[in-house]
This record gives sequence, structure tokens and C-alpha cells, in this order.
Amino acid sequence: MKIEVNQVDKSFKKQRVLNQINLTIHSGRIFCLLGASGSGKTTLLRIMMGAIRSENGTVTIGGTKVPNRQLLAEMGYMPQNEALYEELSVWENLKFFAGLHKLNRKTFEKNAEELLQVVDMLQDKTKLVRDCSGGMKKRISLAVALIHHPQLLLLDEPTVGVDPVLRRRIWEYLKQLKLSGVTILVTTHVMDEVTQCDDAALLRNGHIIAKDTVENLTGMTPNGNIEELFFMDDQSEMEEATC
Amino acid sequence: MLSIVKRILGQIKNDKRSLGLLLFAPLLVLTLLYFILGNSNYVPQIATYDMSEKFTTELQEKAGVIELNEKPAEKNYLEENGIDALIWKDSEGIHIELLEKNSKSATALKAIQDTNKVLQPSQSELLIDYVYETADDNQLDSLSYVFLGVISFFFVFILSGMSFVRERFGQTLERMLMTPISRMDIIGGYTFGYGLLSALQSVVIILFSVYVLHLHVEGSVSLCILVMILMAFSAVSVGALVSIFANNELQMVQFIPVVLIPQIFFSGLIPIDTIPFGLGNLCYFTPIYYGCTSLEMIMIQGKGFMEIWPWLVGSVLFIGVLFFVNVMALKKYRRL
Repeated sequence: MKIEVNQVDKSFKKQRVLNQINLTIHSGRIFCLLGASGSGKTTLLRIMMGAIRSENGTVTIGGTKVPNRQLLAEMGYMPQNEALYEELSVWENLKFFAGLHKLNRKTFEKNAEELLQVVDMLQDKTKLVRDCSGGMKKRISLAVALIHHPQLLLLDEPTVGVDPVLRRRIWEYLKQLKLSGVTILVTTHVMDEVTQCDDAALLRNGHIIAKDTVENLTGMTPNGNIEELFFMDDQSEMEEATC
Repeated sequence: MLSIVKRILGQIKNDKRSLGLLLFAPLLVLTLLYFILGNSNYVPQIATYDMSEKFTTELQEKAGVIELNEKPAEKNYLEENGIDALIWKDSEGIHIELLEKNSKSATALKAIQDTNKVLQPSQSELLIDYVYETADDNQLDSLSYVFLGVISFFFVFILSGMSFVRERFGQTLERMLMTPISRMDIIGGYTFGYGLLSALQSVVIILFSVYVLHLHVEGSVSLCILVMILMAFSAVSVGALVSIFANNELQMVQFIPVVLIPQIFFSGLIPIDTIPFGLGNLCYFTPIYYGCTSLEMIMIQGKGFMEIWPWLVGSVLFIGVLFFVNVMALKKYRRL
């Protein structure tokens, strides 16, 4: 599902957090929205889902203008917080969200078993979420986002607090999903994660300062470190200001 | 909607503390009220000075009596000696001094009046009768409808309001709204989920009050349960609405006095027609008014469905309006 963001602006209490954002995310790609905390990544993600309204501009997903309730059936969303019900078990949490997507019992059980295997939680499926560690909750949250096999996956900082072995397994799974045609949008402030993606956009103070394929972005820096793009931009702005 | 109802029931099953708060805390409070406001066997302590022997002997049947040889001069004599009343006679007549206006003073006064009545049988007695209650009904019987309504409303309001605040701040509400579920289904699921639990609470409270505490119910017990259930549903809706204005759980607690205390004034504790400046009309905007008035009519006046239906309609309308407002309020989190 192709996402197109056109001229999107957003302010909170007169403070501009997104400024004239233009983005195209192609179908079947993993797109990374990279930026420091407070740079506007989550706000942009929430505008794309239709959770909040932008002041100007439009977002279309698969040609349909956001917000659209039918589109939500095709989306999987993993918020920054775990957003799980602590008093329910891992299995019950999955079952609840599967119910909201109107999955039948057989499909739910098949999807749930498969996803719990991926996030290494199958043996803990009867455990109450309140008894799970932070990393486990993150994994359950990812499984919840994927329970209905969405065509568009929006993941807000998905691997924070997940150990390196499992992080690799999750990325392998996301790449498998991509091959099956799923479009994946990931926000992160961890530079290493960018290398797992196909395309990226760098967001700073509500502005997109660079966007391209990860390969091209890496090529723009002398050391092949995307992080340097943030500093390079700083320098050019300083030079402009001096002139 | 059914998924949300099942989820709420599943959550509460694994959250014994909340279940206890919902089911047993009201029973505990009612039991305490039963002992505090019910018939007590308190024997008042009365000091007498210069009273006739006949009077003192008769008073001893009804109170602990201390006969004094001289009238105490100290002002704090009653307080320091744990005495409820001092009665003495002089040229002006019989004087009674009581410490303050409270139930102990009232018991002492009653003992003195009863003694007087026995000693002066020729005095024409005032025979008091009530249309809806008997003279033997205690304070708890007279105000049972207020306590049942307010206590039930309070616990359901807290539980549902807090749960909704947690949904918002734990981002589970946002996650739910990022599925194709409609806003109406969310509010409906919430209202029915907590409403079912509250209905269970209502049944438990009424049965406990009637069969364990033996509260006086003149009318139908099942009609009382129906009223309590409607009131519980409105408490869920009020809880959900108020939670929208709370930015965290602490603020939800701060809303309790604002939302609940004014409603208590309209619960029947104070006769509404005695409230000045037409402020009594505010009762129509409080769900507790409809519930407690219906309960009063059933429990005290023994009225049936045909007499209380306007108040039941009021409760249902209130729930309907709150449901609509809550569905609209969710627009804050999802435009569709």
C-alpha cells in the first residue's frame, strides 16, 4: 500500500511540530523515519493513521484519503508504549485485538501461534502481561500489531528494549513480510536500525532534512554513517546563516 | 462490542482487588452504617439535682442516674464526667442541660420525656403516626435508599472512570481506535461490560441489605434491583465522561467531590423543595436523583412500577444522552 504525504503541517499550542512534510512510501518497502526524540516522528505516524488531524495537507494510503475506517482494517499499529492489558494473559490480549479485527477462531489461532513463535513467547502464552518483563511486553505488542496480517504496518520504535538476538529475528520476520507485499513504516532514533530498511527520511525539528534510499543516504556521507547527515545539515545551515 | 465486554469481564476476573472493591466494599460500608445508624442500646448518663425521689426512681429504669447534693458550678461538668444531661429544679421550673446536639443527648432527652410521661399520665399524649414509615424505623431504614444509591454509584463511578483513564494513558484506547471498530461499539462495550459487573453488584447489595441487614423494603425487591442496575449503568457513563476531562488518575480522584457531592444533595438527604433559589431544579441533571427517588418510592412508600416509571424513563434518558456524549467525545481520539 503506497503512502503519500503532501504538504502536511501540524502545531501543538502554537508550536510547529511538523512543517510542510512531503513523503512517498512505496508499496512493499520498509521505510524508516529517523529522528531524535521530539523531532515529530510519532506525530507524523499518527497523522498518517488518522488519529490526529493535520492543519494543512493530505495523506493518502493506497489512493484512499486518510482518515478512513476501512483502511484501519489493513493497518497494524504498534505504539511506543506497550499498550497491552496487564490483567489479561498474552493469549487473551491477542484474542481481544483479533476480535476487533473480526478474525474467526481458526485464523486467530493459526496467526497467534505463528506470531508467538516469531517473538519467542509461545511458551509464555498463558502468562499474565503484568508478570512479563519490559522486553517481553514489547514482543507481545508487536505480535498484537501483526495478528490480523495487515498490509500496512506502522511501528513506533519497535525494537527498543529487545535483546540483539531477538531483534535480529524480528527484522528477519519484517523482511519476510515485506517480500509478501506488506509496506512497513518504522520510526526509530537508533541509527543501526536504519540499515535494515530500504528507504529512510531524516526528521529534525519538524522538517525532513533528507529522504532517499538507505543506500543513497549512506553514500552521501564520507564514512557511510547516516547519523552524520544530521550534522552535515547543521553545518550547511550555519554557513548559510553566516553568509 | 462483544469483544470489549468479554475483555472487561476477563480483566476483572484476573484483578481480584477491583472485583473486591466492586462487590464487597459496598457491603462493608453498608454493614458499618447498619451498626452506626441502627438501633443502639446506649444507656444515657443523667445527673439529677433536687429532683423528686419518684422521678429519680423512674428515671433509673431508663438511664444511669447520678444524684447530686449540690448543683455543679463548673461549666464543663458534663464533659469532664462523661454525663449526657443534667436535670435540676428551682423556682423557675425544671431545667435540662445537655452537652451538644447529638444522638446521645437525644437519647438522654427521650429518657427524661418518657419518665415525665409515666409520672404524669393524665397529660394528653401526642400519638404520632407516619404515612410511610413506623415510629420504630431507625435512621438507617429512613435513609436506606440514599445510602444504597450513593454507595453503589460511587464504587461503579470510580472503577469505570479509572479504567477509562488507564485505557487512554496506557495507549490501549489509541490502539483500539486504530482498528475498524466504531466509536459506538467502544462506548457500548464499555457501558455493557462494566454495566454487567455493576448489575451483579446491585443484586448483591440489595439481597445483602434485605436478607442480612434486614433493611425495611415496603415494595418489590426486584424493582429495587432494576433501579439499582439502571443507576449503575448511568454511573459507568458518568465515569467514562468525566475521565475524558481528567489528564491522569490523580485528576480523576480530584473530580470525585465535584461530581459526587452535589449529587448527594439531590439524593433525598435534603428535601428538594426546601433548597432555596430554585437550586433544587438542578436535581434533574443528576442521575442519582432519578435512582434515589425511585428507590425511596419503592423502599419507603411501597410504590410499584406504575408509579415510578417516570423516574425510570428519566434514568434511561440520562444513560442515552451520556452514551451519545461519550461517543462524540471519542472524536477527540479518532475523527471517524
